Amino acid sequence: MKLNLKIWRQNGPSAPGNFVDYHVDHVSPDMSFLEMLDVLNVSLVNKKETPIEFDHDCREGICGSCSLMINGNAHGPETGTATCQLHMRRFKEGDTIVIEPWRAKAFPVIKDLSTDRTAFDRIMAAGGFVSVNTGNAPEANSILVGHDTAESAMDSAACIGCGACVASCKNSSAMLFVSAKVSHLAQLPQGHPERAKRVRGMVTQMDQEGFGNCSNTGACEAACPKEITLENIAQLNREIVRAVFKD
Amino acid sequence: MAHLKTFLKSSVGRKFLVGLTGLGLSGFVLTHMAGNMLMFVGPEAYNTYGHKLTSTPLIYLAEAGLLAMFVVHMGLALKLALENKQARGTGPSQNASNCEKNARFGSRYMALTGILVLAFIVLHLISFKYGTYYSVNYQGVEMRDLHRLVVEKFKSPLYSGWYLFSMIVLFVHLAHGFSAAFQSLGFFSVRNCLIKKIGWAFALLVAGGFFIQPIYGYFYGGN
Amino acid sequence: MLDSKIPSGPIEKKWTQRKFENKLVNPANRRKHTVLVVGTGLAGASAAASLAEQGYKVKVFTYHESPRRAHSIAAQGGINAAKNYQNDGDSVQRLFYDTIKGGDYRAREANVYRLAEVSVNIIDQCVAQGVPFAREYGGTLTNRSFGGTQVSRTFYARGQTGQQLLLGAYSSLMRQVGDNTVELFTRHEMLDLITVDGKARGIVTRDLKTGEITNHTGDAVILATGGYGNVFFLSTNAKASNVTASWRAHKRGAYMANPCFTQIHPTCIPVSGDHQSKLTLMSESLRNDGRVWVPKKTGDNRGPLEISEDERDYFLERMYPAFGNLVPRDVASRAAKRMCDEGRGVGSSKLSVYLDFAESIQRMGESKVREKYGNLFQMYEKITDENPYKVPMRIYPAVHYVMGGLWVDYNLMSNIPGLFVLGEANFSDHGANRLGASALMQGLADGYFIAPYSVGNYIGGEKLASIKSDHEAVKATTQAVKERIESFKKVNGNQSAETLHRKLGKIMWDHCGMARNEKGLKEAIQQIKTLKEEFWSTLWVPQDDRCLSSEIEKAGRVADFIELGELMCIDALERRESCGGHFREEMQTPEGETLRDDANYSHVAAWEFMGDKPKLHKEPLNFEFAHIAQRNYK
Repeated sequence: MKLNLKIWRQNGPSAPGNFVDYHVDHVSPDMSFLEMLDVLNVSLVNKKETPIEFDHDCREGICGSCSLMINGNAHGPETGTATCQLHMRRFKEGDTIVIEPWRAKAFPVIKDLSTDRTAFDRIMAAGGFVSVNTGNAPEANSILVGHDTAESAMDSAACIGCGACVASCKNSSAMLFVSAKVSHLAQLPQGHPERAKRVRGMVTQMDQEGFGNCSNTGACEAACPKEITLENIAQLNREIVRAVFKD
Repeated sequence: MAHLKTFLKSSVGRKFLVGLTGLGLSGFVLTHMAGNMLMFVGPEAYNTYGHKLTSTPLIYLAEAGLLAMFVVHMGLALKLALENKQARGTGPSQNASNCEKNARFGSRYMALTGILVLAFIVLHLISFKYGTYYSVNYQGVEMRDLHRLVVEKFKSPLYSGWYLFSMIVLFVHLAHGFSAAFQSLGFFSVRNCLIKKIGWAFALLVAGGFFIQPIYGYFYGGN
Repeated sequence: MLDSKIPSGPIEKKWTQRKFENKLVNPANRRKHTVLVVGTGLAGASAAASLAEQGYKVKVFTYHESPRRAHSIAAQGGINAAKNYQNDGDSVQRLFYDTIKGGDYRAREANVYRLAEVSVNIIDQCVAQGVPFAREYGGTLTNRSFGGTQVSRTFYARGQTGQQLLLGAYSSLMRQVGDNTVELFTRHEMLDLITVDGKARGIVTRDLKTGEITNHTGDAVILATGGYGNVFFLSTNAKASNVTASWRAHKRGAYMANPCFTQIHPTCIPVSGDHQSKLTLMSESLRNDGRVWVPKKTGDNRGPLEISEDERDYFLERMYPAFGNLVPRDVASRAAKRMCDEGRGVGSSKLSVYLDFAESIQRMGESKVREKYGNLFQMYEKITDENPYKVPMRIYPAVHYVMGGLWVDYNLMSNIPGLFVLGEANFSDHGANRLGASALMQGLADGYFIAPYSVGNYIGGEKLASIKSDHEAVKATTQAVKERIESFKKVNGNQSAETLHRKLGKIMWDHCGMARNEKGLKEAIQQIKTLKEEFWSTLWVPQDDRCLSSEIEKAGRVADFIELGELMCIDALERRESCGGHFREEMQTPEGETLRDDANYSHVAAWEFMGDKPKLHKEPLNFEFAHIAQRNYK
């Protein structure tokens, strides 16, 4: 399979960027999207050209590193799929594929397709935890959590922190990411003592990082590789109102 | 108190207020539409209703409340929209992004439809509230003949056209806004099909109710 | 002579004894001591958080953009603990014994016992952090069973247990970052260890965003830098997983123990072509409900659904009736390889076997199967484009984990004082084969419950003068790192590090993989030496190293992998016995099982770096408490 690629190249955070055209031949339908880029990069090195930087690591859809806008869709055309799990069989001979980095003010480009998502870490540091020192924990079965509650908390906890929600949102809002953590811990008894403090801390930090506001467009949910739902955002909205009256 | 301040300063808190005032305004348009339906009963019912509304002193309180809701709703929403534009930053995806396409239809145009609705309201107030004062007398009570003014206006194709267009805009605004407000308040999620349907139904009811009035006025002239 | 510093006394008292003997540091003094933690996986994040909670000043380094991206996140199946919640006869003693036996009697007894002992605390800690483990309807924790055991002791969060445990440890770490007790350096790769007077006192790092080389000094260094399975190029490890931190420490004097002990995991998605960049694991938990089979006939080209029940060979159930599909990983992998060698492999490459869920779907219904394994099935379908609810999965063994690593004593300190090694990076607990769901257990045991005591003991017992960055040793090590990066640029050939890495991987897989023999290993050593020359004459990296440059990162890692590969072959050659994942074809029972040589090889092989000729140090393994026997899963 032969493909035309339009790839965003940018030398550094403050350098101007532009699209560069590449042609790749011999793309096998069994290749993953990132393997296709690997092959391109090896061929660039063979010509002593600087290869394209992109974030990736586990390549099984769980580490959250990969982050490509493919033809304007975060993580490409397939739903519930991270870029690394996207395979070339989803494309056809002669296709032109536009590849860009995540775009949001809070995610500055480091180089080419690689962006800086440390804003997410700072939001987590502002409250995305249960304060329990090592050694402080009670016997595990002394905390009972119903089967359905545990499953629902797990649905929220499945977030991989890739930032597709931000990239796909016309407002660059981080609400889906933040709400997934807030609602994971709000559903479990372990999270209750710090419930109000957590949501206040995380939302304040989110605003400071320069993410936009949620306007309930639902684009994040559509792009999320782990299919985290908008119900989490509704829960966050409840949590923050509740937090007005609680310490 | 400190928590309330944190809440009101946060993006989520402000969005909450936009949702809350939005629902308040939705309530207003619904009653307004329902009241106007008296047009189909006849000029007397229509004018008497208007007269009763405006002759109570409570009207000033209601108008002040309404104005406050408008100001909060629009002020905060526009500020949030500007922030959102900023948060998007500048970057590669400007041209090729599907972000807009992925967003729910109504949600993409909330600021635009909101501004159009505002323009409509301003013109609407000029045309009616501050429009020509015709007088009429029913059973010895002197009152404003609003019905005559309305019919007169609707006779103009230009005016009716603008009115109909505005109602479509209002429909788009409400179709997303009504259900999204519930999401912003944390009651339901817009994923919830029921609330989505209720939102559409509400928008259809309100905008549709208003929509048939100029048509009726234009063709039948209220006779 | 290697001193493992095992406490005296009965095995169940050893850890209590050691905790009591340990020297302590006054809480007010702790903040005067800096601990450098490299790596933010389960072991690193948990150690860093716990030490910061105790009051130490902690600096944490990761080459990832966020601590949460560490490869622990990809562990799927679960974590073992001797809670005996299922009332099926589990105990600390049994977990200890299973682990020793599973490791084919090549692990250090006292360490393994301690691991089993603290396993129960790990579950308590993780639940308190909000890890959403699977639950019964009554609200208690539920378990599943895993290979190599006959009890149900594995706790899990769907097929994402590693993710949830790591996010738990990460949240504890970020809490400390928010409290300013931990300083976090992301996108910083450790490129050398600084030793002063023979003690570990600092590290040299490269900021991957800017290329800046800096040094950081402290009182102790913790390496929690994971395993080196990527020496095979194709493995289930993440792309960036590498040996560099460990190898740099090795070159500074730390011993590398049992480097050839590699785990080949039986249930991975088979290779599909030359472009393959990594292999994907399917959790071992699948073997709970999936049945492994091949056609009875060789060269059977029919599709799986056309092959009737009596034409199928459920070879694991046939060969090992007691454990069936749940035999340990090394045993299952070798059995699959044997089937393929016999010509009964399936798929277009004939290098795979079936893992069939038809019976389970019939027994418990598709929805129950979906609840248990949904995300794994989905992952399989995405990669292969086949629906595992309809046709059996195809699996083949792949490199997954390394039991070998830097040598550590009972306190998890290497032979370099002040250098601690945790998690997969050390060698200690899994012997020659690791049981499923034990890696998460070990990483967290090391990080939450062992290192915080051992590091305190070390700092409390030493008088450590403060080291500034103008110290001679610091300056020299920093300079050496800069020169090394220049040396990559100078080669100026035309091959990418990745191309060279693939070549190394092929040599390793062919000769030092699932089966090894003397001739092949000797050949491999020669081939690696040639490859090393090729590397240093044909490599190309971009000349600009003052920015993000994955080629420069890879060059450093591949250069170290090449040296490690040679040591692995030397170690495999030296160990003339078969044990666990190390299968020497010359040493096998008539049925083709591993044949240990306890008289000559019941030791840890710890290698000292000596240039071309590494020096072997042996730590004898004494089994006082576990009864040593031939492993039998029949």
